[in-house]
Amino acid sequence: MKNILTTAVLLFVIVLGANAQITGNEIVEKAYNLPSGEDQSSVLKMTLQNKQGSQRVRVIKQFNKDFGKVEKKIMFFQSPADIKNTSFMNWSYSTDKNDDQWIYLPALKRTKRISSDSKSDYFMGSDFTYDDLGDRKLSADTHKLLKEETVNNVDCYVVESTSKDVEYMYSKTITWINKETFVGVKKEFYDEDEDLLKVLSIKKVEKIADFFIITNSEMKNVQNGHSTLIELSDVEINTSISSSKFTERMMMRGM
Amino acid sequence: MKILKPKILVQKKIALKILNLKIAKLTTFIVLLFIGNIAISQTVDVDGFVRSYGGVTYKDGDFAILQQTLNLNFEKRGEKIAFKANPLVYFYNADSLNIGMREIYMDMYFDNFDIRIGKQQVVWGKADGVFITDVVSPLNLSEFLLPDFDEIRTGVIAAKLNYYIGDGSLEAIVIPQFTPTVRPDANSIWYVQPDFPVQPTFNWSESKVKPSIENSELFLKYSAMTSFLDFEVMGGYTWDDNPMMHVEKVIDKSTGKPVLSGLNITPKHHRLTVAGASFSTDIKGVILRGEGAFYNGKYYQTTDVKAIDATVQKNYINYVAGVDFNIGNVKLSTQFIQKIILNHDDLMIENKTNNTATFMARYSALRETLHFELFSYVGIDNEDALIRPKVTYDYDDSFSVLLGGNVFVGNEEGSFGQYSDNSMVYSKFKYNF
Repeated sequence: MKNILTTAVLLFVIVLGANAQITGNEIVEKAYNLPSGEDQSSVLKMTLQNKQGSQRVRVIKQFNKDFGKVEKKIMFFQSPADIKNTSFMNWSYSTDKNDDQWIYLPALKRTKRISSDSKSDYFMGSDFTYDDLGDRKLSADTHKLLKEETVNNVDCYVVESTSKDVEYMYSKTITWINKETFVGVKKEFYDEDEDLLKVLSIKKVEKIADFFIITNSEMKNVQNGHSTLIELSDVEINTSISSSKFTERMMMRGM
Repeated sequence: MKILKPKILVQKKIALKILNLKIAKLTTFIVLLFIGNIAISQTVDVDGFVRSYGGVTYKDGDFAILQQTLNLNFEKRGEKIAFKANPLVYFYNADSLNIGMREIYMDMYFDNFDIRIGKQQVVWGKADGVFITDVVSPLNLSEFLLPDFDEIRTGVIAAKLNYYIGDGSLEAIVIPQFTPTVRPDANSIWYVQPDFPVQPTFNWSESKVKPSIENSELFLKYSAMTSFLDFEVMGGYTWDDNPMMHVEKVIDKSTGKPVLSGLNITPKHHRLTVAGASFSTDIKGVILRGEGAFYNGKYYQTTDVKAIDATVQKNYINYVAGVDFNIGNVKLSTQFIQKIILNHDDLMIENKTNNTATFMARYSALRETLHFELFSYVGIDNEDALIRPKVTYDYDDSFSVLLGGNVFVGNEEGSFGQYSDNSMVYSKFKYNF
């Protein structure tokens, strides 16, 4: 699995040598499997805004590292005040094994294993589900190349992904992927009635340590007007983060 | 004058009480100001909350609780050292101030081990709301089981060493001064008056454990978090947090027929040796949890006339098995807890087994700003329960309003049913900063 949050990035990392005969599955697979560095750290700021313009802000310091068969991620919540020093750790596997997840609540002084079964839950009240943030396995959907289209002067492949699980919360998603770089440009999410539910717009992509990283993106729920802006800062890649960072010791101790 | 004297005494007592309260308030203010100044000058992180908590019993409309709380966390973390101080101020009703230091400790970080010294709360085990291997920090039961679980434990002055090996950790704790469970005051609605056939006389001379090397408590735990299983294995050479009441009967034979004329009761803590383990694992989205412990050397009360001080020493085991799972967006959890006294005999006052269950359901709506929760303890043997529904609304990220109830139902002989008169509704207004 690819990480939460920054791993949305993985859908949009550059790949060269695009093939004219390419299929929808190959397009998504190439984007999904592109290298993104051995490890990465960043500060994530998430701004939730409702239809009336009222805002709530969450700030998270996050680290992730690829260990080959398992990818580990740890997040330290810095604000708001009521969740400060809470930490969350996720281990995701290249096999079909479910992710392992733990949460540390400083008030309870206890690290608790939690179920990773709730992929359709919204993350911290935002417009992103855990799946939207990169938790979803490639094999969970069928991918079909619909057409090629130019969006914002960028030539894109337009790929429709349909869940193999008929009970899944989205009837389909449609993703616009840069033909040249394979960086994502836009994604639409359709609800169970096949009505447009949300639109993800990529607003800024930066090249950091030879990797393309999305540092500004917005998810807007078109049905209720709520939106979530995600901004990444202090991004560092391949800094040899110690494996001891992804342990209960660090969850309890903090950054 | 004979009438006025007591009045003057009462007035003096009240004046003294007010003076003490003012001194306590002033002391609190000075301490907080002092700590605050240090915090600012040393760039110490400060956070905490202010909370107003009120509860009213619905049987008679009495305010069972009127509590204002200030919780402060002062923390400074470095690469190699850190410290934390957590003063907590409770202001009850209009005339009672309770100031405590829930935690105050220093951390030292090394490559493969950490050391924590000072007053600290230690939480062990995988169970929710029950304390089986979680025996390091004693409980504050002055308000029964109603405080939040982060407030129900009391801190212990201890030295703690954690040595790390891969995903595992070996933890050793030494507690030089024993701290017992905090019990409700005699005027508390949570105080249960013991039933004695005659007026008892209490001898408190042996109720405290003198701090010494010999009387120290020792705990050891190995824990690991792996992709398959999280587990802990622990042992403890501790004291029973609850004192045993040693009862000596006074028999009056003056009438020729022996008559029970008095009871001399000596509360006394005894050593307890504990060994236990716990685990949790995820099986297809369902979290399975288990925890159990063997307790050696526990004293129980008995009606056996041959028993010394009406007590008998028995071992017991206590375990819990539980599952956490989701149905749709509702998070559910249930646990079964059983205590078994080994080599039990019919003359013992406590039953051989005690069976309890817990249930929890939680649901969040409106983008995680409106939270519904139902938590319940169910006493299976006595068919009684404590049912705790609550609704919390996060007005914004720093301010929340909680409305809830504590409903005691069932057999009044049971642990929960005995408080049926204390069923209440309550509210909590909380500001986090």
